[in-house]
Amino acid sequence: MANISFPYPFPDHLFALMPEIFVAVVAMALLLLDLFIAREKKAITAYIAIATCLTAAVLVVQAMMPEPTTAFYGFFMLDHFAVLAKVLICLGTAMGMILSVNYMKDEANVGEYYVLMLFSMLGMMLMVSATNFIIMYLGLELMALCIYVLVGYQRDRLRSNEAALKYFILGALSSCMLLYGITFFYGVTGSFNFIAIGKGLAAAGGDAYSAVMLGLVFIIAGLGFKVSMAPFHMWTPDAYEGAPTPVTAFMAVAPKVAGFAIFIRILVDVMPALLHQYTMILTVMAVLTMAVGNLAAIAQRNIKRMMAYSTIGHVGFIMLGLIAANADGYAGIMVYLTIYLFMNMGAFAIIILMQREGIQGELLADFAGLSRARPGYALAMGLMLFSLAGIPFLGGFWGKYVVFMAAVEAGHLYLVLYALLFSAVGAFYYIRVVKYIYFDEEKVAFNFQESRLMQATVLVMAIAVVALGVYPDPLINLCKQAVAGLI
Amino acid sequence: MDLNNVLGFPILSLSIFLPMLGALIIWLFVRGDQAVRWAALAVSVATFIVTLPLAFMFDESTSHMQFEELHPWIASFHVNYHLGVDGISMPFIVLTSLLTIICIISAWECIQTRVKEYMLAFLILETTLIGVFSALDAILFYFFWEAMLIPMYLIIGVWGGQNRVYATVKFFLYTLAGSVLMLIALLAMYFKAGHTFSMLAFMDYPFDFTWQLWIWIAFFFAFAVKVPMWPVHTWLPDAHTEAPTAGSVILAGILLKMGAYGFLRFSLPMLPDASHYFVPLMVVLSLIAIVYISLVAMMQTDMKRLIAYSSIAHMGFVTLGAFMFTGIALEGALFGMISHGFVAAALFLCVGVMYDRLHTRDIAAYGGVANVMPIFGAVIILFAMANVALPGASSFVAEIMVLIGTFDASTITQAHLPVSVKWVAIVAASSVVLSACYTLWMCKRVVFGDVKKESVASMKDMSVREFSFFVPLIVLVAWLGLYPKPVLDVLHKSVTHLVAQAKTSKLGAATALAQAAPVLVAVRHERLKERNN
Repeated sequence: MANISFPYPFPDHLFALMPEIFVAVVAMALLLLDLFIAREKKAITAYIAIATCLTAAVLVVQAMMPEPTTAFYGFFMLDHFAVLAKVLICLGTAMGMILSVNYMKDEANVGEYYVLMLFSMLGMMLMVSATNFIIMYLGLELMALCIYVLVGYQRDRLRSNEAALKYFILGALSSCMLLYGITFFYGVTGSFNFIAIGKGLAAAGGDAYSAVMLGLVFIIAGLGFKVSMAPFHMWTPDAYEGAPTPVTAFMAVAPKVAGFAIFIRILVDVMPALLHQYTMILTVMAVLTMAVGNLAAIAQRNIKRMMAYSTIGHVGFIMLGLIAANADGYAGIMVYLTIYLFMNMGAFAIIILMQREGIQGELLADFAGLSRARPGYALAMGLMLFSLAGIPFLGGFWGKYVVFMAAVEAGHLYLVLYALLFSAVGAFYYIRVVKYIYFDEEKVAFNFQESRLMQATVLVMAIAVVALGVYPDPLINLCKQAVAGLI
Repeated sequence: MDLNNVLGFPILSLSIFLPMLGALIIWLFVRGDQAVRWAALAVSVATFIVTLPLAFMFDESTSHMQFEELHPWIASFHVNYHLGVDGISMPFIVLTSLLTIICIISAWECIQTRVKEYMLAFLILETTLIGVFSALDAILFYFFWEAMLIPMYLIIGVWGGQNRVYATVKFFLYTLAGSVLMLIALLAMYFKAGHTFSMLAFMDYPFDFTWQLWIWIAFFFAFAVKVPMWPVHTWLPDAHTEAPTAGSVILAGILLKMGAYGFLRFSLPMLPDASHYFVPLMVVLSLIAIVYISLVAMMQTDMKRLIAYSSIAHMGFVTLGAFMFTGIALEGALFGMISHGFVAAALFLCVGVMYDRLHTRDIAAYGGVANVMPIFGAVIILFAMANVALPGASSFVAEIMVLIGTFDASTITQAHLPVSVKWVAIVAASSVVLSACYTLWMCKRVVFGDVKKESVASMKDMSVREFSFFVPLIVLVAWLGLYPKPVLDVLHKSVTHLVAQAKTSKLGAATALAQAAPVLVAVRHERLKERNN
């Protein structure tokens, strides 16, 4: 840091915070600017917001130093791990916005929509850089409050309102649980700092055991809610179904990245002394999550609900990386999340395109005959679905592979066996959609609301999924390097 | 590591990716159904020509892998792109490229919808199949093994019969559920054998007995589903019945061999002691396949279903031969796999020829076909005789070798069976009668007799195109039946090596390793201490 000097008075340590400051400033400016953009030109707001996300991603990489840097007396940290997570968050948010451009263009007040997304991204970026519970909580709430509003953005739609209300009430409850858990740790160790708490917990005597355990349970429950681990997954299907589809795509990816990143950081920094206890809790939850996600998805007829349960299923698989509790496991989580970002966004892009006159295009049966009407989209959707199912030569396979391998390395052979069987069960509901696309006859004429942007998105996602499926080595290496500094 | 590649040229990669590349070019640049057909044919013929040097330049005097290629693929997990063939895998690569040509010609007229997608699916399927047979890295093997599901799922589901969705989903899930167990076995072996996925290293590593048992069971599910063995065979009749003709051909010709190939590549050489332990299981399941499934085949009213069950029965012979631990039985099993590839493929093509005319596979809908289609009658009878394993056909060579090998099974097999292997051979020999029963009975009802139905009377004999894809099969079946030596020579060294591997217990070495392990760990600790100091 020392050799970088600025011509204007700018505290050195704020350099690490540049991307966040940039996003905050642009978001606030955009809020004002939006007032001057004519209603029919609101797409400009969207493009500015998308450009902001991508610029933020570049700035994050620019701000990266060979060694972790801290700001605000150690309250904020930028290490390689945070950089990777932030890049994924920025990409996920940008993707969510790209999917929104056409979808949201008829909504009132669409300008604020993008600003809310930017603020929620800011929250997530703060969250993954947190070194203590206070910053983490601030970031988490900033993210969550924005997403509550985003879910209920279509005010005239009953389902959207219902989803937002459910999500808000349950979300507020889970935040309370998280805070409650934090107070226990504070009570035992007298600190909010991750590392300090970690040391305090390791030194804590037997008389503090019940307080420590309560803290552990409440914190896992609170975080588990955010990444939809069973049994705290109840909000997911309703929120996913009711939210505007681009918001669903966004919240299926970006908050999950942030949630898992902070989960990893907390497990590594705060709870090394509680390894045995949290592995046990997470194992039970993972077993439940995989079963709930993959089995309930089979019963769904609405694709957004199905994708909600599919997310839960994937969260179950990703949890194996947490349970493995080794570098490969954490790297595997990041690999999985990266690939998941591409395949999920690709799938949602096509779901959004499916909207036809009078039909939301949300039922599985609406996909019937897509392969005849639009072979290109059908192929892309087929690739996404096979990838989500984890069939080789597509990226999804390597996501599972890396996480499972880490779990085997840590000795959780039976858990991996269980996960593999459920991934076979999960394949069923994905290939059922392929069945509609390829085997069934067209019922209603397709009428896509296309744009070049959406076509390009689908193409890029499809290429990414295939490319990562054939040669995942660079991604795996990147994630391994990012995680190396963590432990 | 020295790579054994006489050509000094990545011929295996070329045979794997040529169909894929061709598919890509056809997808992007070729328009019009007829043009797509010719382009697909050109690609498949080119692939066949590329695979020919594998056969002609094959060194029969060694059991080592040949035409090897080795590149790091996923360096962070020590996954290599390692290809190579020996006498066991090479014939299947040539068989695959040959049958793909036949599949594409056979689809010339009967596939009229989505011709392009059909051809692409077949070319991509060819890529994955050649990949499976040439992979020497376990993850690469698994990669191709699973990727095969995607084109096959679409082939059955899009171009299949009425009940195609049920059949293809069943096929997909059965196979997937079986193969995920293989994946976990591979992951476990990776950590056990010292962070490598090399199949050759797995063959050399002394796994201890308990370990072998569990891994063997996991492999068993993956391979038994694919073979398929009783009682996990039920997907096959459904898949065969509903698949389009060419789908059935490739399914019977190649896909079924993948299971048996898995037993020969993984179970026998890597886990010899577990293989010995499970001899009774394999023998019993094989005999059930031979006897019970033959009886089931007899009662079928659908021709494709009948041939599907007959395939299961023939694969019973293959699995029986594989677990006799003698060279002749194993060679017979492998020869049986190759021969069955031709015979079953030809029979499915025969049914396809009839189906194209009357659009039914029901045996009762036919009768007296030979009267109106004399040339076709001769062809189907020829292959029916081959299916019965009449002397002069390639399948006879295979069956007689397996039976001799079973009579003369090694002491290992005998030691693990409560009854004499002679009895096993006697029960297995009943197949000769049973297969004659179901095949000839079908022929009697379909081919012979008087023409009673008007629809049958209107059937036209085979066209030149239809006859053309039977010609190579007739030649090969007769040639291998009368003069099997060229193929047996290719197999011989590799089989001898495999039998030696399968017979040699790894337990002695495993015990030695286990005794040495604490010492090794202690040494490592010492070194770590020194370094820390």
